[in-house]
Amino acid sequence: MISYRWRIRLWGMAFVAPTIAYFLVFKYGPMLWAMGLSFTSYDMMKPPRWVGLENYASIVRDPIFRAALLNTLVYIAGSTVFITLMALGLALAINTRGRGRRVCMSGMFLTNIMPILAVCLVWRFLFHPHGLVNQLLRPLGFGRIDWLTDSTLAMPAIILVTVWRFAPYFMVVFLAGLLAIPPEYYEAAEIDGADVLRRFRHLTLPLLMPVTFFVVVVAALLSARIFLMPYIITGGGPGNATRVLSMLIYETGFSYMKMGRAAAISVVLFAIVMVLTVVQMKLFTRGEEDYA
Amino acid sequence: MTTRREFLRRTTVGAAAVGVLGAPAFGAAQGAPTRTPVKLTFWTWENPQQRPWLKKRIDQYTQQHPNVSVEFQYFAFSDLGKKVSVGYATGTAPDGYTTGDWLMPTWLTRKLIVPLDVQQLGYASLDAFRDDHAPAFVAGAIHEGKAYGYPLWFYGVLNHVNTKQFKEVGLDPVKDQPKTWTELGEVAKRLTIKQGNKFTRQGFKFAMHAAQWTMIQFNPIVSQVGGQWFDASGRCTINNEAGVKAMTIRASLARQYGAEDPADSIATFPLPQMDWLKERCAMFSCHPIPPAAIKSQNPVMESEGYFLPVQMAGVTPDKRYTTCYGFNFVVNARAPKAKQEALHDMYRFVMSDLVDCWEATAPFTLARKSGWTDDPRVKSFPHVQEIIKAKDNGVFFPRTPIWTELADAMHRAAQKVMLNNADIKTALDEAAAEVDRATAEFKKS
Repeated sequence: MISYRWRIRLWGMAFVAPTIAYFLVFKYGPMLWAMGLSFTSYDMMKPPRWVGLENYASIVRDPIFRAALLNTLVYIAGSTVFITLMALGLALAINTRGRGRRVCMSGMFLTNIMPILAVCLVWRFLFHPHGLVNQLLRPLGFGRIDWLTDSTLAMPAIILVTVWRFAPYFMVVFLAGLLAIPPEYYEAAEIDGADVLRRFRHLTLPLLMPVTFFVVVVAALLSARIFLMPYIITGGGPGNATRVLSMLIYETGFSYMKMGRAAAISVVLFAIVMVLTVVQMKLFTRGEEDYA
Repeated sequence: MTTRREFLRRTTVGAAAVGVLGAPAFGAAQGAPTRTPVKLTFWTWENPQQRPWLKKRIDQYTQQHPNVSVEFQYFAFSDLGKKVSVGYATGTAPDGYTTGDWLMPTWLTRKLIVPLDVQQLGYASLDAFRDDHAPAFVAGAIHEGKAYGYPLWFYGVLNHVNTKQFKEVGLDPVKDQPKTWTELGEVAKRLTIKQGNKFTRQGFKFAMHAAQWTMIQFNPIVSQVGGQWFDASGRCTINNEAGVKAMTIRASLARQYGAEDPADSIATFPLPQMDWLKERCAMFSCHPIPPAAIKSQNPVMESEGYFLPVQMAGVTPDKRYTTCYGFNFVVNARAPKAKQEALHDMYRFVMSDLVDCWEATAPFTLARKSGWTDDPRVKSFPHVQEIIKAKDNGVFFPRTPIWTELADAMHRAAQKVMLNNADIKTALDEAAAEVDRATAEFKKS
C-alpha cells in the first residue's frame, strides 16, 4: 500500500515527467551527444570514429578558429555593453512621461518584431558605400565609408545593427524595472536635495540592478549565439573580420562536413557562455550585496 | 499524346545519335527494366529554366512508366550539396540527384555513388560514352575506368559585353573586344565613368559575393599564367609565383586600371551578373546568360539586343582558358538495385530529347556532343557558336575532396587583397596554409 505522501510525490513526478522528458530528448540529450561527438571524426557519411582530443588540438592550432573566437568575444562585449546602455537610455527617455511616449515605444519595438532576414538585407543596402547611412553622414563632412568591406569597420557595423534591433526589446525590460520603483523614494530624495544625477546614481541604478543583471546576461547569451546577422550581412568577411564561432560551427559542420570538429567548437562556445554567465552572476550578486 | 511533329523530331534526334556515334537509340520508347512498382526520390537545384524542364521530362517518364513514381525535390543551387550530405547522414539522401561536377570527388572518395551501367544509359561501351562527351567533361565523371556521373549541362564562362557602352566610348564591340588581360584592363579603363570616388559605371567587374564565383573567375587566370592549384603530392601551390601573378592580374582592374570598385556591387546570389544587367558595369564574365534573365532585369537591353557574349580574356586558340563547369546525374550507392536500374532508365529518357532541352533552357549548353548541336533550332540561337566554343575551351575546377575549403580560402584571400589592400603573397600564403590544413585533416579522416 502506497502512503498518501508517496502518492502525492508520484503525482507530482507524473506531472513534471513530460517536461523532463522533453528537455532530456530535445535539449540535454543533443547537448551530451554533441559533446561526445566532439571527440570523434564524423563526416556524416561514415560512422563517427573516436579521435580523443584531436579536434580540440586542431582547432587551437587553427588561425581561423582563433580569429572567430576573438571576433565572438569582441562582438559579445560590444553588443552587450551598447545594448544595455542604449536600452537603459531609451527606457529613461520613455519614462519621462512626455507626450507621444507610447507611440515612440511602439515604433521602437517594431525593430524587434521585423523578420531578421529582412533586417539584414535592408542594413546591407543602408551600409552600401553609396547607401543611406553614408548619404546622411556626407553633410557632416564624412567621406565615403566602406562599412561592410573595411575589415576594421565591419564588426562595429554588425554591432550597430544588433543594438538597433535588440535595444528596444531590453528597453521594455528596463522600463518595467523603472516603473516598479516606488515614486516615494524619488520624492524623499528630492526633499533631501538630491539632484537628477544623484537620484539616478543612488536610487535608480541600485534598484535596477536585478533588471540590469537580467539584461546583461540575456544580451550576452543572445550575442554569443548570433549567426544570421554576420552570415547575411557580411558572410563573415571581409577576410575573417566578422566570422563568429556560430558561423564557423555551421561552416565546419555543414559546408566542410566535419561534424566532430564543429561539435568541438560548439563545446568551446558553450564553455564561453557558461563562464560569462558565472562571472556575471558573481559580479552582480556582489554588486547587489553592496547596495543592500 | 505525341504529335506528328514531336514524333518526327524525336525520330530525327534518335537517328542522328545512332548514325553519328553508333550508340544505341536514346528514344523514349525504351521500356523500364522492371514492371514492379518503384518509388524514386530525386533531388536537383533550382533554376527558373533548368528545373522545370527536368521536372517535365521526369513527369513524361512516369506517365510512360506507370509503375515508377518520382518524388521530385529541388533546393537552392548553393544548398543542394549540403542537403545531400545531411541526407546521407540521416539516411534520407535521395535515390538519384544532380550534382555539381566539382563535388564528384566528395561523393567518390566516400563511395556514396555507384558506377553507372553505360549500356543501360544507351551506350555500347564506356568508350562510346567517353566519345560522346568532350574529354574534360567526363574527366570528373569517370573514375578508375567506370562512369559515376552522366554529364548533363556543362557550360563555359564568357565575357559579356555591353555593346552600347562600347560604342559610346568609340570602341568596336567586335574588333576591340579584349583578348588579353592587359587589353581588358585598358578597354575597361576607357569604359569607366567616375564622379569623384563614385563609379557611375565600372569598366569590368569581378564577382565578390560568393566563394564559388571567386573560383569561377580566378580559375582560368591561374591556368593562363601556368599555375596549378596542387602539386603532385597534393600540396596547395596557389601561393607560388604563378598564383601571385594570377592574383596580381585579378587585382589590376582595381589597383592598376581603376576600372572597378570591389566594394560597390548590387550583385547577390544567385544573380552575380546583376551589375552588368543593370548597366552599372560594361563587362562581366560568367556562364551564358539566358535572354529571359536579361529581359527580367533589363527589358530594353534584351529587346534592343545590345549585348554580346565573347570569349573570356586570355583565351587563345591553342589552349583552353575559360572556366567550365557543369552537372552530372548520379545514383546513390545506398539505393536498392531496382531503384538504381529505374534511375538509369529515367536518365536515359531525360537525355533523349536534347533539342527540347536546348529550347527550354538555352543558352545552357549540354555536355553531350550528339543530338543537338546540328539542329537548326540550336544553330539559329544568337551567338551560339561563341557559347559552345567557351564550353569546349573550358578548364575545369580543381578536382579535390576539399573543394569547399579551397573555395572559401580563396574567397577570403580575394577579399583581403581587393577590399583591404592586403599584400598578395601574404594573402595567398594564408590561403594555401588553410588548404593544406584541410587536406591533412581529410587524409587523416
